[in-house]
Amino acid sequence: MKLPEGIQVIERGWLSSNNVVLHARTGAVVVDSGYGAHVAQTLALLERVLAGKKLARLVNTHCHSDHMGGNAAIQKKYGCRTSVPDGEAPLIDRWDEQALILAIADQRAERFRYDDTFRDGDTLRMGGYDWRVIAAPGHDTHAVMFHSPEARVLISGDAFWENGFGVVFPQLFGRDTALAETRATLEAIGRLEVDVVIPGHGRPFGDAGAALERAFYRLEGYEEDITRLARHCAKVMLSFALLEKRSMPLAELPAYVARVPILAELNSRYLRMTPAAMAEWLVNELERAGAVRRNDGMLYAAGN
Amino acid sequence: MNQDTRPGGDVPSPCNNVCRMNPDTGLCEGCFRTLDEIAAWSAMSDAEKRAVLAQLPARRTLR
Ligand SMILES: [Zn+2]
Repeated sequence: MKLPEGIQVIERGWLSSNNVVLHARTGAVVVDSGYGAHVAQTLALLERVLAGKKLARLVNTHCHSDHMGGNAAIQKKYGCRTSVPDGEAPLIDRWDEQALILAIADQRAERFRYDDTFRDGDTLRMGGYDWRVIAAPGHDTHAVMFHSPEARVLISGDAFWENGFGVVFPQLFGRDTALAETRATLEAIGRLEVDVVIPGHGRPFGDAGAALERAFYRLEGYEEDITRLARHCAKVMLSFALLEKRSMPLAELPAYVARVPILAELNSRYLRMTPAAMAEWLVNELERAGAVRRNDGMLYAAGN
Repeated sequence: MNQDTRPGGDVPSPCNNVCRMNPDTGLCEGCFRTLDEIAAWSAMSDAEKRAVLAQLPARRTLR
């Protein structure tokens, strides 16, 4: 996919989000910083891509561990201005492990500071283009997207992917508006002039209309049957944890699904299995999807 | 947060989420690509991506 002048995407896998580098003579901007465990490679990649130029600013589409996990290290190295969506600011101020989906999902991120915030309707000058900030609640209530009408590019974070969107949490911890928000966000995307979408994970893609159709189809499935969403959510949370850990003893899995709050809550609210049955079901499902394999009492992330 | 689908593309990315450079080989310990290859991946043509993939098996032995 050919991107407009000055826009570069560092694409890795699922544990680290894409890093979008917006080049400008006045200093580059990077959108999202990847997962904490990958930060040494992230810094090396940025150094290579910036080629001695200054990193002026770091911004986040939203503050999940795979998008802001490199923030602290990037700030330390470059001393760059850091900007976050205004809705995330109070969560970062108090480092809310629940709202930031950290400890409750067995994820980690190094605490960072921010210098300022932006909100829906603002315009940010980044990499020689004006980017309009668009609220993108759903996967994360406080998430935003960046749209450049001039470049006709949408940086969509986890609100919109080539095949769907980042996992939406069913009613958990008292929040139950996520599906309605997701629908509104997809509808808002449908009203934008876009030639290229740069998603938070996966390759940049062109046919936003076809991708929107796939996203709506998926959304309808969840709207029809919320337990479908709960099952999907449980699978995503375990496979993400496994990507970080690389492997886990199968025998420890029942205790793990009982201990990690988000998995335990999904189970008690929707799945209603014993921890052993939930663990067994998860492994079977993820194995069938090709996301994990088991060998000699261990569960491995695919490709490991 | 993620894992809805594999990253798209006709040529799948070899990234397996290890994302750690080996200082001796200058290659990622997970996918055996160089920093330049990882950084440029997204902008490569399918033919260029396939050319990178073709080199990876031999690099594994450098481990
Ligand atoms: Zn996310």
